[in-house]
Order: sequence, then C-alpha cells, then structure tokens
Amino acid sequence: MSGTSSSYRVQYDLRPSKQVERRMIIDALHRLTAAGFPIANYQYTGFGAIYFVDFIMLHKLVGISKLLSLEIEKTLESRVRFNRPFSCVEIKMGPASSEIPNLSRDRRHMVWLDYDGVLHKDFLSDIQSALTILPAGSILLVTVDVEPPEPFDCQRVDPTFDGCKEVLGPKHWRRYFEEQAGGYLPLGLSDDDFAKSMLAVRTKEILKAAFTKSITARPDVEFLPMFNFLYRDSHSMLSMGGMIAEPAEERRMRGSTLDETVYYRDSFDSPPFEIIVPRLTRKERLYLDGEMPCADAWTPQQFNCDPDLVLRYREIYRFLPAFAEILL
Amino acid sequence: MRYASADVRKRFFIEMFTRDISLEDCVLDLIDNSIDSYLLKHSISISQLIFGPDANGVGREMGNVDVTCSERQIKVVDTCGGIPRKRAIEDVFCFGHDEENQQAGKLGAYGIGMKRALFKIGNKFHIVSQTAKEGFDVSLKLDEWAKSKDWKIPITFIDGTGSETKAGTSITITELHEEVVLRIKEGGVPKNILDDAATTYPYFLGQCVQLRVDGVDVAPRPIPFGESDGVVRAAREKFEQNGVKVTLAASVAPGQRTTEQAGWYILCNGRVVVDANKNELTGWGAELASFQPKYRSFVGLASFESEDPLRLPWSTTKRDLNRESTVFIRARALMATMSKPILTFLNSQYPSEPTIEAADIRSAVESVREVSFREIASKPAAGFSYTPPKKREKKVEWVRFSASIASLDKVRRHLRRPALTASEIAKLTFEHFVKTECAD
Repeated sequence: MSGTSSSYRVQYDLRPSKQVERRMIIDALHRLTAAGFPIANYQYTGFGAIYFVDFIMLHKLVGISKLLSLEIEKTLESRVRFNRPFSCVEIKMGPASSEIPNLSRDRRHMVWLDYDGVLHKDFLSDIQSALTILPAGSILLVTVDVEPPEPFDCQRVDPTFDGCKEVLGPKHWRRYFEEQAGGYLPLGLSDDDFAKSMLAVRTKEILKAAFTKSITARPDVEFLPMFNFLYRDSHSMLSMGGMIAEPAEERRMRGSTLDETVYYRDSFDSPPFEIIVPRLTRKERLYLDGEMPCADAWTPQQFNCDPDLVLRYREIYRFLPAFAEILL
Repeated sequence: MRYASADVRKRFFIEMFTRDISLEDCVLDLIDNSIDSYLLKHSISISQLIFGPDANGVGREMGNVDVTCSERQIKVVDTCGGIPRKRAIEDVFCFGHDEENQQAGKLGAYGIGMKRALFKIGNKFHIVSQTAKEGFDVSLKLDEWAKSKDWKIPITFIDGTGSETKAGTSITITELHEEVVLRIKEGGVPKNILDDAATTYPYFLGQCVQLRVDGVDVAPRPIPFGESDGVVRAAREKFEQNGVKVTLAASVAPGQRTTEQAGWYILCNGRVVVDANKNELTGWGAELASFQPKYRSFVGLASFESEDPLRLPWSTTKRDLNRESTVFIRARALMATMSKPILTFLNSQYPSEPTIEAADIRSAVESVREVSFREIASKPAAGFSYTPPKKREKKVEWVRFSASIASLDKVRRHLRRPALTASEIAKLTFEHFVKTECAD
C-alpha cells in the first residue's frame, strides 16, 4: 500500500482507461438489469475518495440510490465530506475490514474494492469478508496495482532491505508476494516468475485463489466471474470481479446479454480484457467514429493507423470519454 | 477368494485408544453422561438452555453430580435420572452408537467417552444405575475381560429407586492404573477437573446440574460480552447448515481481562469444546493478526447446535475441532470477518502519538456493560461497531513561549514581587492583556 493516499497524486477523473473500465461496468449493470437483476436497488460501496466518479456514474446512469463511500485516510475527511456529490452518498471513515461486516444482509450489494496499491494481505482479508457475508446476487469487484512493489513495500517485508544500496528486482518482489499471499500462490515458483512482466499473472492467480477460498466456505453459492480488466493510465491495474450466485442468479446471468460483449469474462482462466486506449487526435477520432463499428480489416484511408489499433479502438470507442477544457 | 483378518481387538480399546485423552477429560466425559441423562429426563433442548427464557432452570429440580478422586478410586455419582435397562443392554457398553441409538444424547456423539474413561483410569469398574422404575448393576475387571474373545459384559438387573429425585448413576473405578495413581499423587488433578468443568459447562452448571468435585461446588464461569448503548455494538451472525444451527457473537469483554481469558470460545451443544482460543484454529495468525496482549479484551463465541451430535464439528475428545467440517469452515470464515473490526478497534487504543480519539476508545473499552450471549444472539446479524462520542469543543489550549530573563525581571521589579515564577508572570500578563485590551 502506498504511504500517501493516491487521492493526493492522481487526477482520478482524467484517466481514460479507468473511465473505459467504469463505462463497461455500467454497461454490464444495464445488461444485468435487463436480465432481471434489480441493480438500481443494490447498495454500492466503494472508495469514492474526493472525486466520487464511480458514485456519480452509478447514481446517474444506473439509478443506484444507496451509496456508501469508505475512506481510510483521516486527513482527507473534510475534503471527502465537502466533495460528497449527492445526499444519498453516505461516508464512513475507516478501513473496509471494519465496514464490510456491517453491510446489510437484507439487500444486495455491489462492492468495489478499488485499491490503489500493489497486492496486500489486507486486500485478501477484505475479499474474504465480503464473500463471507454478502448475500447471493451481490457483485464484488477488486482492483489492484500490478506494478512491482515499491522500496517501502519491500522494506516492510524485509527490514534489512536498503533501497540505496540494492536495486529492486524479482527476488525482492517474490519475497514481497510470498509474505503477503504465500498461501495463495502455487508451489514451485522461482524468482523468474516474479519478473515485472509476470506480476499481473501472479496477482491474478492470487485474487482468483482468494475468491475461490472465500466462497468455498458457502456451499449454497458460487462466485461467477464477470470482469477481468487489465489497463494502464499511469500504473498497470488489474480488476477482477463477479457475482455471488445461487442457482437462480446463475440461470439469470446465463440468460443475460453479457456474453455478447467484448469485456465479459465468465472464467478467470481466460486472458483479461486489455483496455488499450489508442493515442488519437480529436480529428482522427471523429473520423474513426464515423466508420464504427468497422469491418475487421478496415483501415482509414486518410491517415496511417495500425490495423490492430483500429480493432482496439472498435472495442472501446463506445466507452471512451472525450476530455475537454472548460473555462469556469 | 481369500480373506485377510480385520478383527477388532480388545487390546486396541484398552491400551491404545486411551492415549489420546487426558485423565481430566476422561472424567469430563463421565460428567457429560450425567448431564445428558438430565437433559433426556427433562426433555431440555440446548437452544432452550442457551437462548431460551427459562435460563435459570426455574421449576426444575437440579441434578447432583459428585466427583471424588483419590489414589484408590475415582467415582462419579449423579442424581440425573439414571440409564434405562434397554439402553444399558443395547447401547451403553457398545463402542459407537448404532443408527437407532444415535440421537440418544446431546453430549455423547461417538459412543466411546464412558468406555474410554473407564479403560483409561483403572482396571476395575462398578456401575450402578437406577431410574425410578428399574435399575442395573455392572461390575467388570478389565484384565480378565480382555483375556476372553467374548465382547459381552455381564449385567445384573436391580430395582429402581422408586423416586425420580433419587434416580441416577454411580460409576466407581478402582485398581487405578499406575500412571493415573502417579498423576493423582503429583497433585492438582481434582483442581484441574474443577477448573475444566467450570469453563466447560457454563450453560449447564446451575441450570441443570450442581457439580461438586471432592465436595467443593463448581461455580460456572460464564463467557462475558460487553456492549454499551450507542457506542459499542457486538458482532453477531447466525446460519444453519446440514442440520447444524450456528450462532456467533464477538465483542470486547467487560472488566479487567487477562490474556488467558481472551479469544474464541466454541460450544458444541452447549459444551465448551475450545476455550479462549488464540491460534490458527480460529483465524489468529492466519486471517487475523497474531494475538498480542493489546487484544486481551477480545471475546468471541461460536455455538454449534444439532439434534444429531455427530453433525457437530467436535473431535472425539471434545477438546478440539474437526477442521474439515464444512459447517466449521463456513463459521471460521465468519469468525475472521467478525473479529477484524474488533482488532482494528482495540489496535486504535494505542497510536504512536496520544490522541483524544484513542483516549475515547480506551474509555469505551473500559465502560462496556456486561451483556449475555442470549441478548446479543437475539438481534439481527450485524458487524461490530464503535460510534465515537461527538467531538467535544475544545475549551482550553496550552500557551507556551520563551521570554528573556531580563524582561521577566523587569516585570518582577515592576510588581515588586521578586519571587514570581516565569509561568505566574506569563499568566498575570496574559490575563492583564485580556482584561484591559479585549472587549467581551
């Protein structure tokens, strides 16, 4: 976990990939609503920080009117309260581990544990709490940073680590992951398995194992995978999520149109949906939009554009925000 | 087809089977049987005892259980109703219950406790049991019985007591085994039995039975929970799975607590199977942080109840849990979820820098009132919560500054009071300024 809240570092409302992820989740919720899930009656619990982007979207676009934002950073309290976007957003100061057990058992929930740090054992513990108490029909989504752990993360695991003398590498990252989630990792891994390029895979394995372990204690329900996003604005982030389901919810979900979308993942064994936002000018984008959804082999005639990039754009253009300066 | 022998051998039951249980727990197994007789006779359900309004056994005459322990004999005598002849003939001396007799008792799950206790303690036992209507008498020397291949035990029928209040069972074990005599000579066994019984039967002692060990009354040691209105609320959960009703509660305990008392208590049909557990069994050091003295106020209770004791997650010694039990696996996940906020709360008592919030939390921990498990369990499921008191308006603040000695002396000379201390001068000058320069 970072030493300082990312609210101090990141302009949350200006992250195109994250926004695509949010819009895809909203799209999925609309599809679930159409399949008979009363999503508007769900309670949304997340980490709204000071921007509340997800809260605003879920209230305005999905109609969720019971929202709870958890904030652990005490120094942010006045700003969090000041920036609360709607009166129906409740704010609680404290860790998720203290608030998850208090979520009502009489309503379904969508809980987004949108962490801003690399995997930590507290995250796994929160997943266990959520999957232990949330009623069937509830949705749990978890986002973590999949960049290598920072020197201060590694120092916490190994106090003898000296960031000035040693260069962080797979050996240190392995130690960090084994300390945080040793019980969730497969046997027989070597330092190479903790190379920077492998950390997203390791994190995915761990989160998947945490979901499985936590839901196994409830023989009457299953955890049905729905989301698995990998994206990058400044840091590479991994999101995984799904629904706690009894057979009735499972049938309803199978009857939804989720499987018509590009982002739906009904198994965590499939590769994640990678949100790649092509760098395009406004003019290029308008031009591309005019041709969307394009045929598989289509490329623009007016300017050079990698066909793969066009295909990537085709997957996300419906969800991609357009940022503009507003002079207030 | 050839066959290999798969015979049952008496030696296994007499010499090996007895090694996994302590002497004290063997005696508790015999007490379990007495309590079970009482529950059967009065048709008392475990739920009624733990959660029911008839909590104090009003209107029922309690059974007496007397345990005596010497180097010559160990004896357990009760007035809990006695064992019917039919059960004695068909079930009591068998190793394991058959399906028909499976649900005879609430505390006897496996049908081995009494036999194991008898075998563990001595070479000779004498059992006399009488209901009001009928009775039986069994006397056996194990070394002689072990020689024959016959698994039957001679039984003599005797008359009943003619009175419900006198009906009961007496078990006397003599010719104690050498190691048992040694343990008793070492001292402490009766005290251990008394302490173990006090922590094992808080829901039975004083409600169903009056237990004495060597003539000393055993007082139940209840498991105390704390709450305070509007400030501290205990966590509670319940669920039912595979015929087992599970009720969980966790909070901070009232009063001064020791680390020995802290942890999870686990009941199976009202009997404490695990007490004050602070290890991985209940999540400590795994899903939860390792136990530290700052968590000494933590108390949690998990009650597993079933009409069929075999469904409960206890081990045969009733001192451990079957970790592979599906109902325990689910309960354990809930226990960890319930515990975390309490540990966070107790942790916040000791920040690196003293704060008003931490002082409030310490005061909240100290001022919880005692509430019963029954009271907590009657409310809907919820997590632990702490509501801090409304922020108090600050009335005073420290003012600190340094001043030159020359200027302080100037004031002393001006006031002609050479003995004034620096802080007195500061106070005087500050008050003078407020009085003369600031309008109200």
